[in-house]
Amino acid sequence: MLDWLLDPFSDSLMQRALLEVIVVAVACGPIGVWVLLYRQSYAAESISHAMLPGLVVASLAGASLVLGATAGVLVAALAIALAGRDERLGGDVGVAVAISALFGLGALLALSPAVPARLGELLFGDLLGVTARDVIEAAVLAAIVTVALVLAHRRLALSAFDRVAAPSLGARPGRWELALLALLAICTVAAVRGMGNLLAVALILAPAAAALNLAARLPVALGLAAVLGALAGVLGLLASYHWHVAAGAAVALAAIALFGVTLLLPRRDTLA
Amino acid sequence: MPLDAPFIQRALVEALLLAGLAGVLGSWIVLRRFAFFTHGVGTAAFPGLVVAVPAGVAPQLTGLAAALLYAGGVEWLGRTRRVATDAATGLALVAALAIGVILASDVFESPASVDRLLFGSLIGLSDRDLWLTAAVLAAALILDLGLRRAWLAEGFDPGTARALGIRAALADPLLLLAIVLACVVALDAVGALLVTAVLVIPAATVRLVAPSVATLQLGTAALTAVEGVAGLWFAYELNIGPGPAIAVLGGAVFAVVAVVTRWR
Amino acid sequence: MAVIRVDGLAGGYAPGTDAIADVAFALEPGTIAAVLGPNGGGKTTLFRALLGELPLRRGTVELAARPAYVPQTDRTRHDFPVSALDVVLMGAYARTPAWRRVARADRDAAKATLDRVGLADRARRHFGSLSGGQRQRVLIARALLQDSGVILLDEPLSGVDATSAARIEELFAQLRAEGRVLLVATHDVEQARRWDQVICLHGRQIAFGAPATTLTTDVLGRTYGDELVILPGGERAIAVEHHAH
Repeated sequence: MLDWLLDPFSDSLMQRALLEVIVVAVACGPIGVWVLLYRQSYAAESISHAMLPGLVVASLAGASLVLGATAGVLVAALAIALAGRDERLGGDVGVAVAISALFGLGALLALSPAVPARLGELLFGDLLGVTARDVIEAAVLAAIVTVALVLAHRRLALSAFDRVAAPSLGARPGRWELALLALLAICTVAAVRGMGNLLAVALILAPAAAALNLAARLPVALGLAAVLGALAGVLGLLASYHWHVAAGAAVALAAIALFGVTLLLPRRDTLA
Repeated sequence: MPLDAPFIQRALVEALLLAGLAGVLGSWIVLRRFAFFTHGVGTAAFPGLVVAVPAGVAPQLTGLAAALLYAGGVEWLGRTRRVATDAATGLALVAALAIGVILASDVFESPASVDRLLFGSLIGLSDRDLWLTAAVLAAALILDLGLRRAWLAEGFDPGTARALGIRAALADPLLLLAIVLACVVALDAVGALLVTAVLVIPAATVRLVAPSVATLQLGTAALTAVEGVAGLWFAYELNIGPGPAIAVLGGAVFAVVAVVTRWR
Repeated sequence: MAVIRVDGLAGGYAPGTDAIADVAFALEPGTIAAVLGPNGGGKTTLFRALLGELPLRRGTVELAARPAYVPQTDRTRHDFPVSALDVVLMGAYARTPAWRRVARADRDAAKATLDRVGLADRARRHFGSLSGGQRQRVLIARALLQDSGVILLDEPLSGVDATSAARIEELFAQLRAEGRVLLVATHDVEQARRWDQVICLHGRQIAFGAPATTLTTDVLGRTYGDELVILPGGERAIAVEHHAH
């Protein structure tokens, strides 16, 4: 039994993958809790879909994926903000247009050249192919996100819990909503290398949803989300090793399965 | 683009049929704000498409099954009240994608086949696919004829439209079903991830300028036809699936129209 | 010496139209003032102006202290994973630097304040699971923890059960005895008669002063317009209470 658990992680490839996924989960878990509390799940999905062109350009140019992801996220955020603001269409229509157009652009850029970018890895991640440098980059980004969340904790809580009274208690909601979106973007950039831009959102939403189903207090939920995300990473990599399935997808499904388990438990008075 | 090649001719016919669907239903998708739903349904069909190949079944059928499973799953998750709708949608979609990826690595040898399912293909269309699309278009036209007033009333003032009677109670579920069917037949042409390129983007563009539902529908059909055909040509030249080409084209047109009409 | 002094205040949202205008009053320490007016008449707008959230177009506001604010309870998120004590502690957030834990003294004060509103035994309960009246008391405790000389309360007694309402009114009396100023937006004209001052708003300020002299039928009529029901006898009137959608 112990062998089944430990053997997979005896080589450096799997060790790097494990480190990467844990580092990413530790940041994505708490961010996910805030995303759910602020009801920004669509934003989380939108950002990760619409950043594809940035990833593709970086991949084709041989540049750092983090750089491409950041550029992609900035363009995506701009497009989504502009399109979503148009009052002539309904709330989500403009955003859906922006996301689809950008995503299509990414695919077009990826598929057309003579030597196409490895689109599959950009979409679904390349967890088993991460280098030591990738892990370090992810760790730095995760650390930034974590520290920021700790410092911003009370302001974020005020703005989410009581938007109306928040200014009188010391937090201007608009500013903190933006701050959250910025941190979400950084988190997505960190997660994209290992999970791909289509599956990253699983590590953001699922462990957080599970944690909110289990925890009665906010700090516990935040910590639990990180732990459950890391657990999903371990389980996913084990599944990937023993059953020969794609690592990123396995981690995503492990996270969702953990959430599914929490649905079986009796209901608390909290909604994810 | 070799217009005498049968596969090109089928692709063009499909594009025109889908343009009709976009005109009839895409308008309602935009008016009733079902854009994310549409994207979700298309994406959710992906695992169904993957299993169609080894099962030897029509992809529309398995795609439909997967889409209905997804829609049911989101509905059920919402009922548990343990998770908000937007989170439930996100989770269900990523689950569908992950399952699809895992199944695909068992089923397919080359990643190119997965790209076809995700982004569409010019060459894969059969006559059966065209007939199915035509059938869904016909059904959509009939539903539109009978239910357009209910659809409009419900969008304008939700809940109170129920006073109109039984027809109103069934109207929205039927609209959603029609959207699901439209997504399913659009899948082989534009792929699971970009059904919005055909069903939402052109309609949103025309919506910026159209004053009435009728002009919205006719305008959308026309614009989708033009973008569809141009996109096909584009895709042929670049040797990629039609989905991305039509999406980029549609997005560019939308951006231009949005900017120009703002300045009026 | 007045704790709040407002003179010729005007402000609004849409350019060109003032949501409130001609607001002028002064309140001494140890006063409870009712703010009366129809929905949309400017009560919440006045509060926002006093909190500094609404830019002033004309006039001045002098405040001896930054006000604490108790909004209508329906605006909080009942699904949030917080206990009653957690909510009260939010009153100390503004004075806690981001990198420090909330001070021990503030934690103790929070428990004491919860006890003061009669909810010490509910401290660990999930906030959303409390009754409407209990939630209202927790939000008042939160405002008390801010320890400000000025407290703004937006319809604190509407939809609240009788026990909670009685406790809250008792608490008001205690706070007034401590020398604080309370501004209470309310629909209850009879309740307003029991307090020290009243401000009548209908966009413009209609009147300000002691209830006995200010709440004439004429003033009430101009404040409430159609929403007023004059009881037989002509002496007493009640305002129709609306619930926001």
